[in-house]
Amino acid sequence: MSTAVEPVWEIRHISKVFPGVRAVDGASLVLRAGEVHALVGENGSGKSTLAKCLAGTYQPDEGEILHRGRVVHLRDPNAAKALGVATFYQELSLVPSLSVAENVHLDRLPGRGALVSWASARRGALAALSRLEVAIDPDRIVGDLSVAEQQLVEIAKAISTGAITLLILDEPTAALGPADVERLHRVVRVLARDAAVLYISHRLEEVLSVAAVVSVIRDGRIVGEHRTADVSVPQVARTIVGAELEEYFRRGEAPVEEQRLLEARAIRTKAGVRGVDLVVRRGEVLGLGGLIGSGRTEIARALFGVDRLSSGELRLDGRPLQLRSPADAIAAGIGYLAENRKADGLFFNLLPPPNITIARLEGISRGPFMALGRERRRARSFVRELRLSPGAEHRNVAFLSGGNQQKIVLARWLFAEARVLILDEPTQGIDVGAKREVYDLIDELTARGVGIVLISSDYPELLSISDRVAVVRAGRIVHTAARGKLSQEELIELASAGSVKDAA
Amino acid sequence: MRRVLLSVARSQAAGPFLILVLVVVAATLTTNRFFDSQNLRNIGLEMAIIAIIAIGSTFVILTAQIDLSPGSVVALTSMTTAVLLVKHDVNLAVTITLILLLGVGVGLVNGFFCSYGRIPSFIFTLATLSIFQGLAFLETGGTPIFGLSPRLEDSFYGHLFGIPLPFVYVVVLYAVAWAYLRYTKGGRRIYAVGGNEAAARLVGIKVNRVRMQVFVVAGVMSALGGLLMSGQLNSGSPEYGRGFELQAIAAAVIGGTSLFGGVGNVVATLFGALIITIVQNVLNLHAVGTAWQNITTGVIIALAVGIDMWRGTLARAVVSRWQGLGRLRAPERVAVDAEATPSIVPDERVTR
Repeated sequence: MSTAVEPVWEIRHISKVFPGVRAVDGASLVLRAGEVHALVGENGSGKSTLAKCLAGTYQPDEGEILHRGRVVHLRDPNAAKALGVATFYQELSLVPSLSVAENVHLDRLPGRGALVSWASARRGALAALSRLEVAIDPDRIVGDLSVAEQQLVEIAKAISTGAITLLILDEPTAALGPADVERLHRVVRVLARDAAVLYISHRLEEVLSVAAVVSVIRDGRIVGEHRTADVSVPQVARTIVGAELEEYFRRGEAPVEEQRLLEARAIRTKAGVRGVDLVVRRGEVLGLGGLIGSGRTEIARALFGVDRLSSGELRLDGRPLQLRSPADAIAAGIGYLAENRKADGLFFNLLPPPNITIARLEGISRGPFMALGRERRRARSFVRELRLSPGAEHRNVAFLSGGNQQKIVLARWLFAEARVLILDEPTQGIDVGAKREVYDLIDELTARGVGIVLISSDYPELLSISDRVAVVRAGRIVHTAARGKLSQEELIELASAGSVKDAA
Repeated sequence: MRRVLLSVARSQAAGPFLILVLVVVAATLTTNRFFDSQNLRNIGLEMAIIAIIAIGSTFVILTAQIDLSPGSVVALTSMTTAVLLVKHDVNLAVTITLILLLGVGVGLVNGFFCSYGRIPSFIFTLATLSIFQGLAFLETGGTPIFGLSPRLEDSFYGHLFGIPLPFVYVVVLYAVAWAYLRYTKGGRRIYAVGGNEAAARLVGIKVNRVRMQVFVVAGVMSALGGLLMSGQLNSGSPEYGRGFELQAIAAAVIGGTSLFGGVGNVVATLFGALIITIVQNVLNLHAVGTAWQNITTGVIIALAVGIDMWRGTLARAVVSRWQGLGRLRAPERVAVDAEATPSIVPDERVTR
């Protein structure tokens, strides 16, 4: 139906060259109103650069951009904005201490002279929010909203400036749980009624459910464009990597040993763990599924000594384990890969070698002194072993791709010789190839007897990697199932409150 | 050889060193009294106290905190030294030990409240700045004490093999501080805490303990500063040390220590201390009054902090000009991930 519509925006053979790399290389896209157009590709494939050309942040070196059939030059982001391009990145631009209404109108509060008309600011915010068909009180303080709600406010802010012709969403769901993703997608569909939407994401299932068209970019070139109705996730994934990829990752069926590594008995914390029992055995992957805010991360924090237990006990190798701090957990052989590697994982002031060794400096030290040569050599061998880009050990971590950054944090826990490794969203925001390597690594670690607690919002991933999946809701484990005994639909149903049979 | 030169040029100390050279050249050109041996000796002595205090400031700033109390710790310790030696006839070695312990105590107070006590260090050390100053006044009601002990002067202003002792102290302390930051686990943890506090906790670093530790270093360095001050002037006064904290912070910042924490090294701080001292010395030689000296120091501090903040923007402007020209090749690392938008990327960290 929408294919007949005239394109609102079109890019023709554009290229963008950075010193040493052609980030975008002769790419063409046609974006129509009423249509969600997804753009997928690995990290570094040129997705964001392409989007930034449309947003006016970058100016293409070759090719042209057409708006309603006419060639336009987007000298800066304001030029793009004037033509109705609203861009929306992962990092939000809201002021947490102000209300929703104030944020929506931040740069142009309505009123006369120096006086602000709060009534009309509220009305404007309400109008924008109701266009999105969401109900958020404009008087609420943005800092009190959930991340998902903040995103909606951000979108309301973008559309309140006037008629938009193109909405660009760059990884909008990276921080959202399944229910919030669904809500965002509803909003995206509402907006797509009269504007074009360019939707950039790593999550292929999601892309296929929200978009009408998906374009695949690789090495700066568009290598495939499909109607989403005609393709499957594995097909798209194959196009992305440009090589054959298995349908979905299957872990080797190595028998799990019976020996119990880490055990939690009726643990509770003030942060929201409400009586959890769990066991991680040698060589086992225990998956924790659940919505964001269900308590998955809180369980991980309790197992790692970040939050103190208010009752219950932990056991390691059958002996009671007291954790007063992460330092105790690390000393006991537990590692924790935090969900947000930028905020809670990486040290941007340090090069990769110190980033890798920081959790076990004893490993490179004699007495108080560190052997820097040994540190560099260990780092180099990790770079090789984990297939980081060659020479990565010399680069500032900020300039490494998401996948390489994640491998550095993983290398940290390998170096720390963790026997129990808690991985909180280990594949979030990394490309298909790197994901695959993370899975391989999990496989290898379990073969060596490491026990893994895997937290993931990517349910197909969780269900295929975990030997057992525990479903977490409201700080409790409501159900545990062996691999293959739980479908994605059942998992979602168990995870969301409401229609639930407590099977635990 | 080329590699050595390159790594020197890339190191953080390169910028401050270059400025230092320029300042020295300017000093030589404008007055022939600068290279006078007596004048150089004066510079050395003037610099020593600030340089030693600046070690502490660098440690504190590396953990993304600030210590505003060193000036009044100098007043407190110089006054206490005088009281102990003159009023209570305490033996010199015991006095020095007690004063250094006082420095530890001061550091523990600052460190405790700024870590476990969760009071922002800017506020808390502003409070202790005032409190220690008040305590220094309290000891004699504000009256300075003169004529302490010739042996005190010998201990801090004598010579070792013909080299003035303050010089020896500076060199030794800087060598130790440099080695500590670069080669020990404790030093590495300081950088980690300053670089990313949340991540530091999650790799098992006891962040509060590290904070306590840097404030103790700052307290001890300030106490040493007080002893040097008393030794130099053979007296104790609650007026000593006023404004030293700002000069010490300026030395660290001119040396490129980032106020956001995690970036900096003490060698560059030493250059910073030299720059400040030489500028003041040259102004003295030109008979510029205190008013203009203060103004100049202020401008230098503002510029140093400004450069710390703007370095990223300046670098970006230069790079984008390059890109516009489209022929010059920037270093490979710029190209690695043209599209990965790093969230925390002050560009200056890349250039080091």
